[in-house]
Amino acid sequence: MKENMNPNDAPLSALLRAARPSPSLPPRFQENVWRRIEAGGAGAGSAGWLATLVALVMKPRFALAGAALLLLAGAWLGAHEGTQVVRQDAQGRYLAAVMPGSLR
Amino acid sequence: MKRPLFILLGALVLGAAIFTGAYFVSQRTCLICRAQPDDDLAWLRLEFHLTDAEMARIQKLHEGYLPQCAAVCAQIAAKKQELESAPGGGTNLTAATRVGLQELDQLRTQCRTQMLRYFTTVSQAMPPEQGRRYLAEMQRLTASTQEQMEQSMSAHASHDSGR
Repeated sequence: MKENMNPNDAPLSALLRAARPSPSLPPRFQENVWRRIEAGGAGAGSAGWLATLVALVMKPRFALAGAALLLLAGAWLGAHEGTQVVRQDAQGRYLAAVMPGSLR
Repeated sequence: MKRPLFILLGALVLGAAIFTGAYFVSQRTCLICRAQPDDDLAWLRLEFHLTDAEMARIQKLHEGYLPQCAAVCAQIAAKKQELESAPGGGTNLTAATRVGLQELDQLRTQCRTQMLRYFTTVSQAMPPEQGRRYLAEMQRLTASTQEQMEQSMSAHASHDSGR
């Protein structure tokens, strides 16, 4: 059986090609293929950028540093605002005491 | 495409929550720890970084000033009340009203002078630089509130007469 299969058998190859005719391509096939390749490439680029950013954010060192930075910034700003509020209240109280009726 | 976007949004939300939480906790803590609702002079300590000895001196000055201030304010309120309740002379300004207005002006001047003298004395009880800053700040504040003070005193007087 094995000795009958000869890839260089030209008449057999021609016979096989004739038995399985290749269908004709649809119109503008090549153009459409290139368009899809380009669209796929653009999408992959944006997803790649996002994935890189996410990978960076998910790194424990980066995530911890970011969280610590936000915590410190929030605490600092809160303390600053709190001090301002306390100062303004205290000033109002002092003025009300030394200028009776002015702020009441 | 969608999964990284969700992760990124989640990270942003978490970051915002951390920042906001830290902000409010810190602000609240600051308000609780630093507020001194019973102390009228707390602002001086906060703003001008005064020592206990300086604060004690200012406390004495303050306690001395308050009764004087209250007395003059009461006189002003009484004078305004007197002018308001005096029988009107139509569209003419009577001699009694003129005298009353002059007296009211004198009392107002006395009140202002007394207040400025108090501010000067307090500023002298502070370190020189802080004293200058205090005096400038008080002059700025009194200039803007003098008008409100007078309006408020007339309101007090009408309230007192209504009782």
